[in-house]
Amino acid sequence: MSHHYVKFDHVSYTYPNGYRALDDVSLLITHGQKVAVIGANGAGKSTLMLHMNGLLTATEGQVVIGDIPVTPKTLPRIRQTVGLVFQNPDDQLFMPTVADDVAFGPINMRLPDSEVDRRVDMALKAVGAYDLKDRPGYQLSGGQKRSVAIATVLSMEPDILVMDEPSSNLDPRARRMLMRQIEAFDHTCIITTHDLDLALNLCPRTIVMSGGHIAADGPTPDLLADRSLLERASLL
Amino acid sequence: MTAIERALYELNEIDGYACGSSLMHRLDPRAKTIVTLLYIATVLSFRLDSLTGIMSLWIFPILLSALGGISYNRVFVKSLYVLPFIALIGIFNPIFDRRPALTAGHVVITVGWLQFISICLRGMLAVQASLILVMTTGFMKICHGLRRMGLPAVFTTQLLMVHRYLSVLLKEAASMDCARRSRGYGRRHYTPRLWGIFIGQLLVRTVARAGRIHMAMLSRGFDGNAAIRSTMRWSAADTIFLTACAAAFAIARLADLSRLFNILTLR
Repeated sequence: MSHHYVKFDHVSYTYPNGYRALDDVSLLITHGQKVAVIGANGAGKSTLMLHMNGLLTATEGQVVIGDIPVTPKTLPRIRQTVGLVFQNPDDQLFMPTVADDVAFGPINMRLPDSEVDRRVDMALKAVGAYDLKDRPGYQLSGGQKRSVAIATVLSMEPDILVMDEPSSNLDPRARRMLMRQIEAFDHTCIITTHDLDLALNLCPRTIVMSGGHIAADGPTPDLLADRSLLERASLL
Repeated sequence: MTAIERALYELNEIDGYACGSSLMHRLDPRAKTIVTLLYIATVLSFRLDSLTGIMSLWIFPILLSALGGISYNRVFVKSLYVLPFIALIGIFNPIFDRRPALTAGHVVITVGWLQFISICLRGMLAVQASLILVMTTGFMKICHGLRRMGLPAVFTTQLLMVHRYLSVLLKEAASMDCARRSRGYGRRHYTPRLWGIFIGQLLVRTVARAGRIHMAMLSRGFDGNAAIRSTMRWSAADTIFLTACAAAFAIARLADLSRLFNILTLR
């Protein structure tokens, strides 16, 4: 088995206010898979995603990323392995220019300047945003911001790419561009989304979440054809 | 455009200027920071009633903004925003010091009023110098320069975060204000209780947003110290700029430039 896998082993998570967002979740995503995580609001998708990057730590069970258990000590390695793209690109872009934002991760990895420059160029070219390199983040359109947000993560050369609602607030053209970009990635991709078309077009496998647990896990066409499952998961 | 949107625009405009490529922009941030600090020290070193000496220093922001390709008018207008706060510092001088200083016809100008004008002028010049520094360098590079000059990372990171969250606060305030106006039906006055709720909500929303940004930073390896690229190179141009400015400030401080100017023009 490849080292680039994501394993949730009976993971539960309860927020400080007592809300149990994940309830005994077990899953295994292997190298190169493109997996959609779908579910209604409050189903636990974002909480699941935050566990993959170590931003939340399981209250029960264990998360393992490529043979490394997610613990406070392993966080730097975990965060190099798993790149997380947040739902709102405005939350992800916080530096004065696009280049500074894309360089933020590699600089934190203490890479030499020449390597930082190479990665910035590579990441921006990968998302077709190289021309925006010197622009301030606040001047970008919604689609451009989304592309740059993905580039900020690609520059860390992660093995696993996790995206939270990547198609939200995008116009049809920007959405099509985003889908083409995701399609071209070789990474293991985990996409939380309400966009069932996007799941169907990009992800051969889908995990349906409901009430903090996994309601179904299987081939996307089969699950999206199951009307009663989608209704139970409040997706119809 | 509302006042909040205007403030956000002004903030973005300052950051936008920093992307220029003028002579000033190309200088090392450390040289510009030291020059700015020297300038402010020179302005503050004049006696309170030495108006002509302080006035002679006005030429430097005009020259430096021209070197930076920035309209001095923009710098001047932006510096006016802080004038009320500066005026508050000297507001009591005209009341307590009523000794006559000048007489213009029947009008007697007291020492207190001279001191008040002096305080306002000093504050304005200091703010203008700081604005030119930020507009020709960018806040991030200034923090980088300060760090390279030995300021502890905890301070430079705090400065960067304050700058970042200022725009977060303004954006949240702008969206709340937009929602309030859209359902306000022209109402302009609200009870203190409602304002309290608005401000409380603004705080809660800003903290929540700041939390999301912090998570985005953590996920990209942020460990409490803002990592910045070490691309700064001190060149001969920086040494010349620093030396020339320091010499000019010293001359302005030690010689009364306005008197020299008068002598030269009379000849």
